[in-house]
Amino acid sequence: MIGLSHYLALSAILFSLGLLGVLVRRSLLVVYMSLELMLNAANLALVAFSRFNQNLDGQVVVFFIITVAAAEVAVGLALIVALFRLRQTTHIEDLNTLNH
Amino acid sequence: MNYGELLKLLAPESILALTLLLVLGADATFLSGRAPGLRRAVAASLTVAGCMGAIYWIFFFPIHGHLFSGVLVVDPLTQVTKQVLLLLTAATALLTLETAFTPHVGEYFGLQLLATLGFLFMVSSEDILTIFVALELASLSLYMLASFAKGNLASAEAGLKYFLYGGLASAFLLFGFSLLYGLTGETLLAKIAAKITTTPRDPLLVVAISMVLTGLGFKIAAVPFQLWAPDVYEGAPTPSAALIASGSKLASFFLLEKMMTIGLSSAVGSGAFHALAAGWVPMLAMLAGLSLIVGNLTALAQTSVKRLLAYSAIAHAGYALLGVIANSSQGFVALLFYVMTYGFTVLGAFGVVAVVERQTGSDRLEAFAGLSRRSPVLAGVLFVCLLSLAGIPPLAGFFGKFYLFAAILRAGAPSLGILWLVILAIALSAVSLFYYLQVLKQAFVREAPLELPFSVKPSTQLVLILLALCVILFGCAPDLLVSKLLLALKAAAPGLVF
Repeated sequence: MIGLSHYLALSAILFSLGLLGVLVRRSLLVVYMSLELMLNAANLALVAFSRFNQNLDGQVVVFFIITVAAAEVAVGLALIVALFRLRQTTHIEDLNTLNH
Repeated sequence: MNYGELLKLLAPESILALTLLLVLGADATFLSGRAPGLRRAVAASLTVAGCMGAIYWIFFFPIHGHLFSGVLVVDPLTQVTKQVLLLLTAATALLTLETAFTPHVGEYFGLQLLATLGFLFMVSSEDILTIFVALELASLSLYMLASFAKGNLASAEAGLKYFLYGGLASAFLLFGFSLLYGLTGETLLAKIAAKITTTPRDPLLVVAISMVLTGLGFKIAAVPFQLWAPDVYEGAPTPSAALIASGSKLASFFLLEKMMTIGLSSAVGSGAFHALAAGWVPMLAMLAGLSLIVGNLTALAQTSVKRLLAYSAIAHAGYALLGVIANSSQGFVALLFYVMTYGFTVLGAFGVVAVVERQTGSDRLEAFAGLSRRSPVLAGVLFVCLLSLAGIPPLAGFFGKFYLFAAILRAGAPSLGILWLVILAIALSAVSLFYYLQVLKQAFVREAPLELPFSVKPSTQLVLILLALCVILFGCAPDLLVSKLLLALKAAAPGLVF
């Protein structure tokens, strides 16, 4: 029988994988995907809690998060494109103009 | 609850949204192709008119109420805070006239208004759903504002870094929220608090609190979540950095205080050195201590004034956290007074930096040499603002710090266990005087090789002088603001008076 703890464990694993990706990967696009993975880990936890707490609030929150995440994609990709036009790179180590 | 009532409660926000459409519309239709100077002037006037209209509305039509049992809260305290936020945005819009980094005038002012709209909703939210949406509205607008000088590599990079750190922070915040929701089955802060008392302390709760603090710690730029701040302050266009430093700080601190004192009021813990107990107070005490040390000591080594202001902002986040840690209504008032006056002060400082940067092409310390002879007004404003940031009486910064220390000492009165943090804060505020004086030394003592007078727009001069006067006024008569805040807090939800 799959219970709440299984969903939470999966969500925690997804969140950790996302965090690992953000910290370790060097391509901006992959880092960005990892960020989305972390958001979706939170979504999974919310839906699971909503299901097992027998109340719908969590699912409502998830719909808003999905919408906001879509807006974040638009902004994030635009920023990456803006950088790419100036530097011809999407490598995170090339974000070094401001380091003194 | 009908839509008429909703519209009345949200009148200031509606005015701001209409202004936003007006600014975009005007810029896209009859102003397209005109001189950028004219477009900037029209957009800034519209923005200021919108902000003033909203302030006027709040002032003359006070209305209070809770929407959907607290999803959206409109009470005297949120209204005072909103007025200050609107003032800060109006001043930022006028200071933007001094810069010319983008041909997309309408969009830039529109985004400033959108960010402000996010701040207003942050102040009014007491439900994790609306908090998240408001926070993202403000954050997404600020990411774009930070990278708005598209052709400039520093700005593009600053925006992207802000975005990446911000995205990470909101993921943490969201996961923390989902755990809070899971533990209690509620999304309203007050109901979450009520449920937490009844359940025994859960290790998951500690994880949830730390994740929420990670997310909000990023917004207020507290160590160790401050990595974005220096780069963003330095690389972003100066008006964007000014808005991030003033309005965003005020809204985030207000949100943090509400989150902690309403949502987590039953998981306080203790930060006294001899009796540490799990909860959010010891966590915040650690953040505050680290911010004070790292912010003040790193600022000593800076040569870029915007970067220096960033590290000073990190240190000031440490001071302001003392007000949250005090966990009392006096602490709340002290925090608001501090962050509001800090907003005015830092806006003044950024305004001077914007002018100097435009005229000399640099924000290095050397660029400020001979400022007192090149523009006595700017030098005077810089003098007042930086000394206030350092906490010299009789300026607003002094009383801000004084109230914070008094609030936290009174809150920990029986044992004085939190005294270690106060001593640290006082010692480091002496250190901070050194780096502020470095800037003033350049402005007043050093001579520039070629001391041509600066040409400063009359609107900029007016705003800067008004900001400096505010700093002096609230320093000489802090009671003007403090008594207003106290009254508002008492009239607000009784749950907030403790």
